[in-house]
Amino acid sequence: MIELESVCKSYQRVKAVDALSFSVKEGEIFALLGPNGAGKTTCIRMIMQIIQPDEGLIRFDDRMVYNGKVRRSRLGYLPEERGLYPDTPVLDTLLYLGGLRHSDQKGLKQNALEWLKRFGLLDRRKDKISTLSKGNQQKVQFIASVLHRPDFAVLDEPFSGFDPINQEMISDVIRELRNNGTTILLSAHQMQLVERIADRILLLDSGRERVCGTLQEIRAKTISNRKISVRFEEEVSIDKMKNLKGVRDSSNQEGNSWDVYPEEQFELNQILKQLSELAPITDVNTSESGLHEIFLHSFNNKSN
Amino acid sequence: MNAVQQEQSEPGKARAVLQVAKWEFNRFFKIKSMISSVVWTLVFMVIGGGVGYWLAASSDETFQIAVVDYGPIHQDSLYHETAQFHNRTEVPFDSLLASLQQREIHAVLSVDSPDEARIWTQGEPGWVQVLQLRLDELRSDFKIRQYDLTEEAHADIIAPMALERINTRETVVSRADKVLAGVAISLVLMAVFLGFAYQFTAITGEKQQRITEQIVSAIHPQAWIDGKILGISAIGLANILVYGILGLFVSMMLYLVFGTVFPNVLLMINPMLLIVFLSMSVLGVLMWNSFLAAVAATIDDPNSSERSALMLLPTLPVLFAFFALFHPDSTAISIMGWFPLTSFAVMPARMVLTEVAVWEVLVALILLVAVVWLFRRLAGRIFAFSMMIHGKEPGMKEMVHWFKRAE
Repeated sequence: MIELESVCKSYQRVKAVDALSFSVKEGEIFALLGPNGAGKTTCIRMIMQIIQPDEGLIRFDDRMVYNGKVRRSRLGYLPEERGLYPDTPVLDTLLYLGGLRHSDQKGLKQNALEWLKRFGLLDRRKDKISTLSKGNQQKVQFIASVLHRPDFAVLDEPFSGFDPINQEMISDVIRELRNNGTTILLSAHQMQLVERIADRILLLDSGRERVCGTLQEIRAKTISNRKISVRFEEEVSIDKMKNLKGVRDSSNQEGNSWDVYPEEQFELNQILKQLSELAPITDVNTSESGLHEIFLHSFNNKSN
Repeated sequence: MNAVQQEQSEPGKARAVLQVAKWEFNRFFKIKSMISSVVWTLVFMVIGGGVGYWLAASSDETFQIAVVDYGPIHQDSLYHETAQFHNRTEVPFDSLLASLQQREIHAVLSVDSPDEARIWTQGEPGWVQVLQLRLDELRSDFKIRQYDLTEEAHADIIAPMALERINTRETVVSRADKVLAGVAISLVLMAVFLGFAYQFTAITGEKQQRITEQIVSAIHPQAWIDGKILGISAIGLANILVYGILGLFVSMMLYLVFGTVFPNVLLMINPMLLIVFLSMSVLGVLMWNSFLAAVAATIDDPNSSERSALMLLPTLPVLFAFFALFHPDSTAISIMGWFPLTSFAVMPARMVLTEVAVWEVLVALILLVAVVWLFRRLAGRIFAFSMMIHGKEPGMKEMVHWFKRAE
């Protein structure tokens, strides 16, 4: 659907994006993650044709291109910094923003009414935007970005401003969009939601790719696919934990609890045996590493 | 996969421009507000006219002047339509001064000799100038009688020079044309200032409300700025139309009530002049809106920007147009009639007041069209790079750099 090849972008002395290459496949949800200042928004703005890269190429699928130019009508965009016309009614706002990308006003209106109904805003369609709550304004903003049924949608922080119930609903909607043929590029800080809906993930660090792949692939490349959570009866020093063989990383949780990330090739029994030699174990369980842990592991002490 | 340039002109760009223009027009031009505004204007005109009429009627007051000494002037000859002169030669001067202070009379006059007189007043009223003229006449009569001139000789001396006016121009400047020129320039100025207000709200407001990014991801920045220029210019032109019609309506009402000649303006308007006026007005409004859009695009916060002062620039051409009323054929005014930044106001003024060759009008129009195109491109390019800048305004060096880099 879209491919970036050695894309660079600098602002004065700061290199926001540095020789970045990746591709988003048709029909997938691709998550672009990274700490603040990693270059996500710059990357997204280049993809959305808002700013130009200093170097490199951004290629789009043939059907997204007309006369050598990107068809903006095929793109959907929910920017991180967003706003709406406060004095304009909800439906008028949607028809205007959608109409800039799509010429079929009748179809747009039908779509807009369906979306508003789904988001519980149908009876507010004639109300001014300023009379809506922040969450409802966010819903209108979200609808505006996908109203014209884009082939490729970039959603920058789609969950921000929503309560957990609405976050769940938005994640369902994103999956549904993907299932209906819209390829999604997603950037968000809600890791538990991203790991559930993203097909592939790219971790961006200072404008460069840190790691890219499915959740399982990036677990393997960064921290570990497995996590052992263990609680000791007494305190165990960090030095002892560091000396364990076959352990890629470990982190102290509350009190005497530790999370341990074993190397892929090591048997679980080998690790447990070493742990039991450090101190008596009172509790132990195993699980897969979450994206949150991967993120913290990857960017610890970097995020501002 | 296709490699694509980052700048592109989306198919249906014209549609996007019209859509933005329509949106901007509907956003700011509200029929209800316009009707309310027109009604209030009429109310103020009626109130203003009524108060003016009342003031004029009340100014018919006759001034009461006590004369303590007539000198060589005959009492009966001291008269004036705005004043009543009372013989108070027997009344003590102090009591007259007391009456003056108590505003029972307006002045005390003493004609001491044919060459000298004194007047006591409260303050410095303007009607004393009128009285002075009457006293001059009386002095002149006195002097003529003193030299024993006949009435014929006297009349011959004071008779004015007969000055026959022969206009060598084929066309005569009609009062209607002058009225039209003044009204047209004023309306265009109004439209430009409306543009000033709306461009600021539309462009800087959207930047501050973070609306810009999602819009320019949908359409090209140039299409967006073109739409704004068109939509906001259309608001200005709609106001010109509404207030132009309102002016005619008021003129007709004045005719019906007072029998003045205003309705004849329509019949006396030179059609060619009208076409040039309209073309110049539309282009002038478009040009200044493009300029204002370019300025607004560089402004982050209109409350603190020093560039806000640039918005007053459109008043200069109107000032020059008023200079043109006095010196329509001077070299400087002729050049201003062609110069695009001033032509929209100066050229119509010149056309009313003097002979302007057709080629001059054409040159002015072509240059104006070229500058409208240039300004809108400039506004589009400045906007394209400044739209994402928050917290600081781009300097001139930066703007030139980005202008060169732009498509």
